[in-house]
Amino acid sequence: MSTVQPNESVSRRGFVKSGGALFVGFGFVGAEGAQKASAAGVTVEKLDPSKPESWIEIHADNTILIRTGKSDFGQGTVFTAYRQIVAEELCVPFETITTVISGDTDRTPDGGGTFDLLMHGMPNLRKAAAYVHQGLLDLASQQLGVAKDQISVNDGIVSGGGKTVSYGDLVSGKKLNLTIPVQGDVHSMFGLVVSGDPPLKPVGEYTVVGKSFPNSVIVSKVSAKETWVTDVRLPGMLHGRVIHPKTLGSKLISAGTLDKTKFPNAQLVVQGNLVGVVAPTEWEAIKAAQQVASGTKWTEWKGLPGDARLYQFLKEDTDWKKAPIAKATTNKGDAPAALASAAKKLSATYQLPYVKHAPIGPTMAVGDFRADGTVYVYAHTQNAQALRTGIAQMLSISPDQVVVRTFAGPGHYGRSNGGNAGAEDEAVILSKAVGKPVRVQWTRQDDMQWSTQSSAAISDVQLGVDANGRLASYEISHYMPAMQDDRLVGAVLAGLPVMPAPNEIGSLFGMANSMHDPWVYDAAPVVLERAYGGAQVGQSSSPLNIGLRDHSLRTPGQYQQNFPRELAITEAAVLAGVDPLQFRINHAREKRVIGVLESVREASGWETRSTQARGSGNIRRGQGVSVMFRSSTYWACVAQVVVDMTTGVIKVEKVTVSVDPGIVVNPAQLKRQIEGGSVMGVSMTLLEETHFNESGITATDWRSYPILPMADIPEIKVVLINRPEVGTYGQGSEAANALAAPSIAGAFFDATGKIARRLPLKPDYVQAILKA
Amino acid sequence: MIAMVVNGVKREVQAPSATPLLYVLRNDLELTGPQFGCGLAQCGACSVLLNGKEVRSCITPVSAAAGKEITTLEGLPARWATQKGLSEADAAKTLHPIQDAWIEEQTPLCGFCQNGMMIKATELLEHTPSPSVAEIKAAFTTSGTSAHLCRCGSYTAIIEAVQRAASAMSKRSQA
Repeated sequence: MSTVQPNESVSRRGFVKSGGALFVGFGFVGAEGAQKASAAGVTVEKLDPSKPESWIEIHADNTILIRTGKSDFGQGTVFTAYRQIVAEELCVPFETITTVISGDTDRTPDGGGTFDLLMHGMPNLRKAAAYVHQGLLDLASQQLGVAKDQISVNDGIVSGGGKTVSYGDLVSGKKLNLTIPVQGDVHSMFGLVVSGDPPLKPVGEYTVVGKSFPNSVIVSKVSAKETWVTDVRLPGMLHGRVIHPKTLGSKLISAGTLDKTKFPNAQLVVQGNLVGVVAPTEWEAIKAAQQVASGTKWTEWKGLPGDARLYQFLKEDTDWKKAPIAKATTNKGDAPAALASAAKKLSATYQLPYVKHAPIGPTMAVGDFRADGTVYVYAHTQNAQALRTGIAQMLSISPDQVVVRTFAGPGHYGRSNGGNAGAEDEAVILSKAVGKPVRVQWTRQDDMQWSTQSSAAISDVQLGVDANGRLASYEISHYMPAMQDDRLVGAVLAGLPVMPAPNEIGSLFGMANSMHDPWVYDAAPVVLERAYGGAQVGQSSSPLNIGLRDHSLRTPGQYQQNFPRELAITEAAVLAGVDPLQFRINHAREKRVIGVLESVREASGWETRSTQARGSGNIRRGQGVSVMFRSSTYWACVAQVVVDMTTGVIKVEKVTVSVDPGIVVNPAQLKRQIEGGSVMGVSMTLLEETHFNESGITATDWRSYPILPMADIPEIKVVLINRPEVGTYGQGSEAANALAAPSIAGAFFDATGKIARRLPLKPDYVQAILKA
Repeated sequence: MIAMVVNGVKREVQAPSATPLLYVLRNDLELTGPQFGCGLAQCGACSVLLNGKEVRSCITPVSAAAGKEITTLEGLPARWATQKGLSEADAAKTLHPIQDAWIEEQTPLCGFCQNGMMIKATELLEHTPSPSVAEIKAAFTTSGTSAHLCRCGSYTAIIEAVQRAASAMSKRSQA
């Protein structure tokens, strides 16, 4: 078992486990996690982001270590693309970067959430590497006695004036006279940003970016060598379970009595509405928690609309006027006037349910509230610095007294990008109460009922087409409850300080009332897109101030806006009597939009036709297409489906995705990411909705919240369009999740002539649509 | 005291007989390959081989494993080495061909479910050396207590890895 030594000086998280202390070539970094006492109490040393060695260490043996506040959640980006990008700027082989330290608050410089990993082509490490490269050239110039512009570097060997020196020898015992300029707040959602414009390697000289290097962490995971968050054990650690309230609005009347004759080593912790049990063994903690839960009494609460009334509630009972209305910057023309004179018109409403992130493992964490007042949290989080800030706020201490260490764990798909997933604060609260490290593991039911979910949404469309088969007017209004509820839910239950709940604007990014889905049909003459924000459902009436808590999932807000838009565009094409894929090309001027559409048409075997398939008989086939622009990347998707008209079962036979991210950094990794996203997208389209009643979420496990099994996956074809001339690398996989739904719904429309505007496309709903 | 053979080694554990095998493996025997996914035998993250059959350790009481042979992810290399009669030196540097295939195909995304996927693949290929895609899909969907679920959607990569492993294992069997 890997017992973590919190103050160890060599990172465990290097994928090459260091056999001994390596000599650090420049700017020696002191023992990580070292503590110092001051008048304010014991605090933990942190890295100085202005020092180059906080980002990149070059060792005497020519190996290199890099540090990033981002974490890996299965994309593999920090272990592949980040190493490739740094190797490129430093002019060293990929393999020389032997260690990646990620996510730990005391061992990484920049913080920020694990999303947008390539930052529109400019992750912090790229600039840091470019600055370090310049510093190394200056050092080489002095040492070799050659002007900087006469120096070249190849595979980490510096040449100039007929002399050569390796990076390792160059930096040995030297201090790099260099400051990395940074701006921003390390504790914020986005963390620090490396500023300035260091000279970057010209794209035309790339030799490392563009190749399919393997993800080094896969070896340790497959061979059972990885230390997962689930494997963290501390000396004296206790196992904890939390008994969550009966409903999302229930307050504690009385906690059950712990039967010490049955569970002699267990302890009960009650703080506010938080009830927890700890014990030395996991099984005793589980059984004792069950025993206490059976005697615990809660108030009743029925403040949710229930899923049967969800869309009516959003339409009629939600105040959408509190937040300012967001309008797209691409809006143009007079939509109502253009609609009035259109040849054919469509007015429709589209509905998306709440979707769970549903990681394959429930949230868990180890909290260690120490006698000296420092707090260590061992977690699996997309934003360790934000979690650190939240824990500090909860305990009313300085963030300098809190350390968060990040470990591998199940994919989160966005739910912890604001810091927490659920168990982290509870582990700390229980640890503080019992004076020992506590490992809190949520059950599957806890995770389904008490975690956040992706917001439900409705959108109203009014569009018209002219007699020439073109869009005359397009108007859409999006309505979505707030997202990005990053409150620590255990702290809320315990009555401890937390950040404010999201309001109608939706917390940090205006997550509810922003236009998230960029318009791509720039040849359309008249467009009016608006987004309205509302409060989280149930929150205001809940005595706990907890309703259906919402959080970003993969393409937050954009999924909710792209599904109605893309399905409506398909409907517009059918109304106009034009092939839906050609209709999209006809309304785009941007050549990269046209490029992905032409690519997906070719690769998918799309049948270009101006009428729908609308076969006869019980089994019908159809095709659908969707487009998205996200994080500097253009996407197009074709789905081919077969519909059983009797049972209402839709089977997705094939999904084809064409993607143009600009420069493709790692083709093999990107392909795997897109395959995965496509499967998750099919799952969301066909199966996923979060059932809830008036008191809380009733989807509690994989039976009540099914996801796609292997037998039901489509054939998946991925086409990567590499465009070095774009000069930047766009974003990876997450858009793949969102592409499936509108293309599958479009394919169902093609196959049957019936339109399904609500997800998921489950057999009972599909049968009802077919009968209508 | 409950005795069982874990990854080829006789182990004795002191635990209440109803304790799920998963917690005994992870917490007492320090074998952390199997993961806690649902505790309900609905996902497969906790799978181990019990006398060669894939079972869900999260609902299998440790008493049911008494006197039986258990293989966890950690034990796959030794299982292969024993089946192939490899020398101790060769065995020490060998992964199971299924693990090699998982690496070569770059199968895992987050990887949390992949313990169960590799355990299921082992059970499948020990009985069906050259499975069709339909047989692979059936094995991972309907053959066990529940489907083996992957939230990241790595199923395509799993199928490709199983095919690669099947090919490698049959070649090595012929050698």
